[in-house]
Amino acid sequence: MDPENSRRDFLKKSIFLLGGLMAVGVAVPGGTYFLSPLWRKGEEGWLELGEISKILPGEPVKVDYAQRRRDGWATIEEKSSAWVVTDDGKKFTVFDPHCTHLGCPYHWDTAKKKFLCPCHNATFGMDGQVISGPPPRPLDQFTTKVVGGKLLIKPRSGGA
Amino acid sequence: MRTLVDWLDERLQIREIKVALFDRKIPKGVGWIYTLGSLSLGIFLLQSVTGILLAMNYSPSPQFAYESVSYITHQVTLGNIVRGLHKWGASAMVLIVTLHMIRVYFMGSYKYPRELSWVVGVFIWLIVMGFGFTGYLLPWDQKGYWATMVGTTIAEQAPLVGPALAKLLRGGDTLGTVTLTRFYAIHVLVLPALVLTLIALHLFFVVRQGISAPPERDKPDGPHA
Repeated sequence: MDPENSRRDFLKKSIFLLGGLMAVGVAVPGGTYFLSPLWRKGEEGWLELGEISKILPGEPVKVDYAQRRRDGWATIEEKSSAWVVTDDGKKFTVFDPHCTHLGCPYHWDTAKKKFLCPCHNATFGMDGQVISGPPPRPLDQFTTKVVGGKLLIKPRSGGA
Repeated sequence: MRTLVDWLDERLQIREIKVALFDRKIPKGVGWIYTLGSLSLGIFLLQSVTGILLAMNYSPSPQFAYESVSYITHQVTLGNIVRGLHKWGASAMVLIVTLHMIRVYFMGSYKYPRELSWVVGVFIWLIVMGFGFTGYLLPWDQKGYWATMVGTTIAEQAPLVGPALAKLLRGGDTLGTVTLTRFYAIHVLVLPALVLTLIALHLFFVVRQGISAPPERDKPDGPHA
């Protein structure tokens, strides 16, 4: 190879190498930044629903609660609710208040003794199992625990 | 890869574009100071990429602007690097574009037949100033706030149109919520659209005309010097 060509070849390779390094230098932090929501952990914490003495066996009880959480750079207070069911006042089942079909809020039909979602006429039993309608799975449940006579739930990360 | 290039070349003659862009004849005597334009373009690309990324986590409201910038810096993985690149890139942009302009001036590159490159370039330089001015406010910190106060008050001193100009810049009588959204919109929508158009023109001119030869002693400037 004559000197002129090897010089040209060397410079060409140098340009690609340096340009490539600069591109990687931006692409790596940029890509990491863009993808970072994938490994960002949501806040985990127990939320207090209230005194267990107020939750009586028999009928599901809708409990409204306020939840303070970090949403990006903002701290927001969200009003949320959950359906609490107990048979004996000791063991509690807490359902996410959204239908598992398309996320509509459902309510307790006292006459029919069923959870009824008005969007597509889905019904669930008191145990959360689907009785009729399109939902693909039983009602979602929160993890619960009772501390000092108070009922606590753990919000599901990524849940509605 | 080869066959794809062949396929495209057969239809669009893309190799001609490559030759026009990268295999241009370069006059004798050009050196490193002739790379400032390419460097400006490189920093512009850096600012575009990092700017888009920052916009994903920025909220242009007095309530959240500072908080969201702090979120980028401390919460987002490598957010401090991306923000740092944009911040230092901004300073580098002003510096390099200005040096590029000085090089063009002292080498007489602005002369016939390249006056249009110069005119468009001057507008690009002004837009870079606009980027700097509007971007400085966005972190909504003390420095940005008062710098914008000073900047808009300077505009207010202009005879006759001053007060109207300041009001337009601030979006009202005082510097506040509306100023921030205005500056943000100008920074991420108006100026990028303008500068992209002008950069396209500027690049078209330089590719079409080739770069100017450095002036030589005892040689009069000819039309193709």
